[in-house]
Amino acid sequence: MERPLVPIVTVPEIATVVEIREEIDEVKTFYFTFDNPEIEQAFRIRSGQFIMCTVFGAGEFAVSLPFSPENDRKHISVRRVGKVTAALHQLEPGDKIGIRGPFGNGFPFEEIKGKNVIYVAGGIGLIPLRSSIVHVLQHRKDFGRVVLVYGARTSKDLMYKNSIKEWKATENFETHFTIDRPEPGWTGEVGFVNQLVARLDLPVENTVAFVCGPPVMFNSVIKELKLKGIKEQDIYSTLERHMKCGIGKCQHCAIGRTLVCVDGPVYTYKQIKTLGEQI
Amino acid sequence: MYWLEKNQLEQLVKKLAKDYRIFGPRRDEVSGEVIFDWLENLSDLDLQASIPYNPPKFILFPHFEEILKYRYDHRSKKAVIERINLLEPKALVGIRACDLTGLLCLDRFFLGQEFVDEVYLEHRKKLFIISNTCVRPFPQCFCVCTDSGPGAKEGYDLDLTFTGEGYIVNCGSKKGQKLAEELGLKEAGPEASELRQKIIDDSISSFDRFALENKAWISRATNRLTTGFIKPEVWEYIGNQCFECGACSFVCPTCSCFNIEDVNSKTGDTYRVRTWDSCSFEGYTKMAGDHNPRKPVEDRRNKRFFCKLSYSQSKKYLRPGCVGCGRCARVCPGDIGLPNVVTYIRREITEG
Repeated sequence: MERPLVPIVTVPEIATVVEIREEIDEVKTFYFTFDNPEIEQAFRIRSGQFIMCTVFGAGEFAVSLPFSPENDRKHISVRRVGKVTAALHQLEPGDKIGIRGPFGNGFPFEEIKGKNVIYVAGGIGLIPLRSSIVHVLQHRKDFGRVVLVYGARTSKDLMYKNSIKEWKATENFETHFTIDRPEPGWTGEVGFVNQLVARLDLPVENTVAFVCGPPVMFNSVIKELKLKGIKEQDIYSTLERHMKCGIGKCQHCAIGRTLVCVDGPVYTYKQIKTLGEQI
Repeated sequence: MYWLEKNQLEQLVKKLAKDYRIFGPRRDEVSGEVIFDWLENLSDLDLQASIPYNPPKFILFPHFEEILKYRYDHRSKKAVIERINLLEPKALVGIRACDLTGLLCLDRFFLGQEFVDEVYLEHRKKLFIISNTCVRPFPQCFCVCTDSGPGAKEGYDLDLTFTGEGYIVNCGSKKGQKLAEELGLKEAGPEASELRQKIIDDSISSFDRFALENKAWISRATNRLTTGFIKPEVWEYIGNQCFECGACSFVCPTCSCFNIEDVNSKTGDTYRVRTWDSCSFEGYTKMAGDHNPRKPVEDRRNKRFFCKLSYSQSKKYLRPGCVGCGRCARVCPGDIGLPNVVTYIRREITEG
């Protein structure tokens, strides 16, 4: 069975970037391995957790984990958005990074066995969901219907094109893709994710939904899911905040009475509603 | 319990100084202010001075602290990370009950919860604490409302109470007991305990009336803050007076938010520095890409007082986050120190 999780708390462990892939505009995926073989062996995550990644000379940032807890290459997918992520994008294969973590609660897995699972992602919101999707597909027989609804602005903005290709060919995995405007050669749906969610025949009873994407998309999708009858406590999402320590001490990620780094980043919509701050 | 003669104090401090770096209240010659500081000169220690304007939290949680050092060579792709550990044993001599309570809050926060803060733990492990019963409250002080003074109840190695002629000494730990015995202090009977209580009672009666009246209102405010029943207009009123200077956080014995930056030095080493931070700053919650979920100042003020008084936060400290030292009221360029915020909340309750 799974080893106990012993996170790296204070001093980052050095890891080597072994491969870099351009995913979409401004987003790259960095595959890494730990230099210390013991850590490489012992590092275990739950899907939905995050790590603190050090770019030497630039700083540290919090980033969600897109790989499955089992049999998946370790990687992070990062959009170039600030000073530290810009420095990360400058790296080449062979460069070192520092890793602390994994931190946070993670998506439920054992608890949702036997249920139908709906994933709804918008844009790079697919990054944190990928971990759970791959994990659930690895244990496909333990779950009911598994559905992915994924939308992006254009076909170029769809993340993880290799995984998508694989998923489209996976049996018993219902995938639906949409882009905002028609494009020549596009055979998927057209329109916003929430509109697609509204049109689809989705399971409702004994079902959990994982939603991740920009706030506008998030709110409109939640509305549709609730209209279909999915309960607020069965809708999960993962939040992001400015984070410095990852271990519940610096307090930068406080929302209401919770700290995203230790109480989150995964919350049910029911919890999110009571936090009293915008997401 | 023991008696410590006035002239034995020097002996005690000198003995401690052999093993510990001594921190205590001293009067600053230039400003005339009492500050809690490293005592380069042990005779500067002034236990009769009024409450220091800064809490001693910086001794365990420094304003700037290098927690890691690393060097990365981009050409050879070699990274070396070192942990910085130059911590020496430190003694806090003459810490007030309010500040000691604040320190215990920090202990529970940094050493409790899901993770232990290893940096704080290093500081805390090698600490000797001598508390001092407060007999000279500020006009802003209200520790009587927050159950954190004027006499210390727990957390000290030795506790001193000045009687006018000497000190009543309480031992709070084996470490403290050992020191008292080594100094050959004279044992004191039950009369010392009674005398200490009388001194504390006298001190309480010298508090400003507002502090004594405020007592019940703090728990009402706690209730309101926890349940979130305070009108947005009250927060706006409070937010309008906030200069966003962060002074309240910096003088607060329990405020412990920090920022972490990697600072490159000319030698090629990079230092990971942890610095004090304040939730009153706009950049505090700003994420890369400039999205800021907590932009309006009243949102940020709301957060601070939630932290000081709400029941949810009290669960982390095992008591309210406010220790009643009154420093926030003293430094605030607006008028939103904690006692005033309680007053505004109280006004809302009474006037509806």
